[in-house]
Amino acid sequence: MSNYILKKNSPLDGFEKKYQGVSVAEVVDKSLVMIAIPDARKSQIIKDIKKSCNLSIPEMNKSEKSSDSSITLWRLQKNQVFAYYDYQNHDAEESIAKKLATKDAYYTDQSDTWVIINISGKRSRDALERICPINLDTNIFTLGCVARTSMEHMATIIYKEDENSYLILVMRSFAQSMLHAIEVSIENIL
Amino acid sequence: MSQTNRIKGGLVDNKKTIKFTFNGKILQGYEGDTLASALIANGIHFVGRSFKYHRPRGILTDGSEEPNAIMEIGSGAYKEPNTRATITKIYSGLEARSQNHKGSLNFDLLSINDFFSQFLSAGFYYKTFMWPKSFWEKFYEPAIRHSAGLGRLSTEPDPDTYDKGFIHCDILIIGAGATGISAAIKAAESGAKIVLCDEDFVMGGRLNSENNKINGIKGREWAKQNIAKLAKMDNVRLMSNTTVFGVYDHGIYGAIEDKSAESIVNKNKPRQVNWRIYTKRSILCSGATERVIAFANNDRPGIMMAGAVRTYINRFATTPGKKISIYTNNDDGWRTAKDLTDKGIEVVAVIDSRDIEPVIDIKNAKIFMATDVIDTKGRKLIKSIKLSNGEQINTDVLAVSGGWNPNLQLTCYHRGIPKWNEKLATFIPGDSIPKEMSIAGKAKGQMVLVESIIQGHKEGQKIASSLGFKTTNSEPANTDLVAYNIEVKWQVPSGKKRAWVDYQNDVTVKDIKLANQEGFKSVEHVKRYTTLGMATDQGKTANVLAIGIMADNMNKTIKETGTTIFRSPYNPVSIGAFAGRRRAMEFYPSRYTPSHKWSEEQNAVFLEVGMWYRSRWFVQLGETFWRDSVDREVKETRNSVGICDVTTLGKIDIKGKDVSEFLNKLYVNAFAKVPVGKTRYGLMLREDGMAMDDGTTARLSENHFIMTTTTANAVNVYRHMQFCHQCLWPNLDVHMISVTEQYAQYAVAGPNSRKLLQKIVDSEHDISNEGFPYMAAREISVCGGIPARLFRISFSGELAYEIAILTRYGDSLIRALMDAGKEFDAIPYGTEALGVMRIEKGHAAGPELNGQTSAYDLGMGGMVSGKKDFIGYKLGLREDLMKDDRMQMVGLKLVNPNDLIDPEIPSFAGANLVNLRDKPNTFTCQGWVSSSVYSPIFGYHIGLGFIKNGHNRKGENVRAVDLVRGKDIELEICSPHFYDPKGDLLRV
Repeated sequence: MSNYILKKNSPLDGFEKKYQGVSVAEVVDKSLVMIAIPDARKSQIIKDIKKSCNLSIPEMNKSEKSSDSSITLWRLQKNQVFAYYDYQNHDAEESIAKKLATKDAYYTDQSDTWVIINISGKRSRDALERICPINLDTNIFTLGCVARTSMEHMATIIYKEDENSYLILVMRSFAQSMLHAIEVSIENIL
Repeated sequence: MSQTNRIKGGLVDNKKTIKFTFNGKILQGYEGDTLASALIANGIHFVGRSFKYHRPRGILTDGSEEPNAIMEIGSGAYKEPNTRATITKIYSGLEARSQNHKGSLNFDLLSINDFFSQFLSAGFYYKTFMWPKSFWEKFYEPAIRHSAGLGRLSTEPDPDTYDKGFIHCDILIIGAGATGISAAIKAAESGAKIVLCDEDFVMGGRLNSENNKINGIKGREWAKQNIAKLAKMDNVRLMSNTTVFGVYDHGIYGAIEDKSAESIVNKNKPRQVNWRIYTKRSILCSGATERVIAFANNDRPGIMMAGAVRTYINRFATTPGKKISIYTNNDDGWRTAKDLTDKGIEVVAVIDSRDIEPVIDIKNAKIFMATDVIDTKGRKLIKSIKLSNGEQINTDVLAVSGGWNPNLQLTCYHRGIPKWNEKLATFIPGDSIPKEMSIAGKAKGQMVLVESIIQGHKEGQKIASSLGFKTTNSEPANTDLVAYNIEVKWQVPSGKKRAWVDYQNDVTVKDIKLANQEGFKSVEHVKRYTTLGMATDQGKTANVLAIGIMADNMNKTIKETGTTIFRSPYNPVSIGAFAGRRRAMEFYPSRYTPSHKWSEEQNAVFLEVGMWYRSRWFVQLGETFWRDSVDREVKETRNSVGICDVTTLGKIDIKGKDVSEFLNKLYVNAFAKVPVGKTRYGLMLREDGMAMDDGTTARLSENHFIMTTTTANAVNVYRHMQFCHQCLWPNLDVHMISVTEQYAQYAVAGPNSRKLLQKIVDSEHDISNEGFPYMAAREISVCGGIPARLFRISFSGELAYEIAILTRYGDSLIRALMDAGKEFDAIPYGTEALGVMRIEKGHAAGPELNGQTSAYDLGMGGMVSGKKDFIGYKLGLREDLMKDDRMQMVGLKLVNPNDLIDPEIPSFAGANLVNLRDKPNTFTCQGWVSSSVYSPIFGYHIGLGFIKNGHNRKGENVRAVDLVRGKDIELEICSPHFYDPKGDLLRV
């Protein structure tokens, strides 16, 4: 047994800041796992997931929440969904496979790949308007919508988790740059 | 003197006085003034000098078309030249200075140019300064350059900040005048998402300048009420101070929002925001611009556009003069006379070139019909005008109206060509306008206000309805019908005197005539030869007039003469607004490795690799030169153990039943039977048989592989694999995703690497040479159960491993590894030491995988499988790629080890290789040096390079000639594997 104990850290060390009408916070209590769905086993996987968590595979750029809201599936690619769920340990692949109770899919942990930044508040859309090319109109990008885009030259996933609350995901190494971009946007609109 | 020309009324707030300076003189204006209106209020007309002849110039217009009143605003780094006084809202502390004079504005030394004007006609610089030849570079060119240009930049970095943003809407309405407001009200009622933009800081367009009544109230009041109504609607976004400058594909419009007022108060706020507006439809309601008439000396201060005079008296409550004359060829000019008399300002004369009855009865004014202004007097302010009937009239302002041109620039940005309208005597939008665009009002050629309002109303309804929004029937606003009749009047014969067409570029009627005489018949050629229509105003007051004059000169119709078309931007846009936030360190985003923080603590010097910041070397106490650090890192790694962050290498997680088959098709070498727990080096080719990338791929379980790529090619390889899977072999059960950032990965290299790792890796995992041999790969755990992956691979040529762990533990792991390595004197090493060791070992990297080298060139021909098909296989067998005289990769070492001891020239990479007795030139070139470093192990420089038939020339001496750095040294061609050529150290 090694004598060393490793400590985990998050890309932004749990950053949190409140501005007038808008808040920014790093999300640190979630896991994100890519679930690849082979064509040949798709129907079985759909059945399994439905049975275990009452979850359907969402339409493209949409999401589905499990009945207890603990797991959200994001659909961004034909044969893929992302499972975004409450979990912080390092065996996310095994844990989600167990929850969804399907062995036919392939799981790849992406929890450490991304930094997840929550931007919320009444002025969140005003701030995002400075960096996000996606149409965030409340009638267009509705609750539960999810999309891949590019913000400030960074490949980004944006998810609308609540009426005035969005998650912004960029590769972990870009964490500081994205946070800076968001903060500048907020300062410029306030 | 304080605001001597102020009158009552207008939209300025006379309770809020604002102080500003013009050429150092402190002046006052009111809240709501532009710089131009405030100067006029203070009795100042003479505000600048013309570009070429340095003639005194005054304020001509009231908008962004202004050619004369362009000024330097601000000072120091904040100085901005060529700012149009007519659209600059005044603020407390504004500093304005006139431009284009040597000496003071009143005594401009270069005004002498005006007396030599006959030598400075169009294209003079093509014809003069030919003799003596030697004067050109030493005298003529510097003198011309010194005199040329409009305004002077500060030359300091722009201290203002800029931003950009994205707006999505259903209907973008450009222009918030009567037509735009009418369209917006109607469209907004349907629920469509509307953006209404206007370049002015007050919406309302010309309604603010006129006295029309709409629905029984003053037009400006009607505008204000309706803007207020729109402002309350959730589906409407009002953007004043916002100029739509460009129209791009797919309904994308560029718009600059000027937020100077905010940024002046708070310097941290952006001065301008560059908006990208995505819209389904647009309605162009941009109005029209008045043009001049060319008559002798028509450029004197005090000569203004007739519509602008109305703006100054009605909106800005300031009169440009006390005795005003009007010269017009259309009904609109008469409105100026009426508004002036209504305000009690003396109208001396109304001169109409048309042979018709007077349009309006103007009391106490002399009326001249079928008469022209043929000359003017007054150097710094007009004093009198001379009429074609011989009469001379004393006047302090001459208001001129040559007719109105629709502001159709935006209709041309997709190569649309305007068409001539004889009745209106102007160009109107053609048929090939941007697909999603509609046009209404004056911009479409509808010069009658009541009709414009109806047109806007109908377009708003029609466009909203076409997008599926429900609209109701309602009546448009109503106003009296005011006719607009015009008869063409381009020019008045001026004899030997000059009549200006383009004020900003000092282009006269004679210049256009000269261009035509010299054979320039096309409008585009005349424009370029005379510089007509260029610079900040883009010829908004001049272009149509010039075409009319060209037609006269060539005895053609306007239709036959043709027209120029317009390109964006509609108005000048600051370079800063295009750059937005992307300046200095924010030019592009930065990527940091998991060990970045720790590396900073260790005095790392960083290198930008793409967007990544990688540790280049680590400076230790006493090290003053980079080689001190790099040499130490190489030696200590080879002697004991070194650790390097290799997280930036691309990592692709591949799962599925058919992954081995997939990889077999991608790589030149066999991957079908890679055992679980093993890593294999692979070389990937492009379709054309050239090397694309190399790396290792490990099989972690039956259906699970992890591939590494070079840092530079991480994205390219992933994209290539996705293409191959999605387009070439979609039926293979293969699923992949990048895990580059999921794992922090460290190379642990050197004879003590295993001993170090044994202190980290949990004891149940056997990593002995037998239990974990060379090229082994396995999922393990470290530090008491933390999952990790271990690969026994080596880039350095030493016994080495790469350990990958979830990135959340990356920082902690580097600290643990370094602590565990203390007993072995473990050191961190950076990319320079990494490069030295890979060259010592003879590994090809970026400089060798340059897109021109095949597997055979790289000495990897033996790896290429002849038993399977793979990408690049067929084209890799091309005859030319198999020739012996191809450039082949070799090692290169100094014949004289003391060569290149100069630390200022650390490398001979890039040098050409020539035979010993050849003179270096294109024909004798034998190859090149691709990589070269000083090897602290061998004590001299070594390198890799490509030379003709290199694999068969080992032992031969050649010269490396570097003409740039002035080096010519002798090298021996050798094996690229300098260090441990048999690879014994890898397997211990």
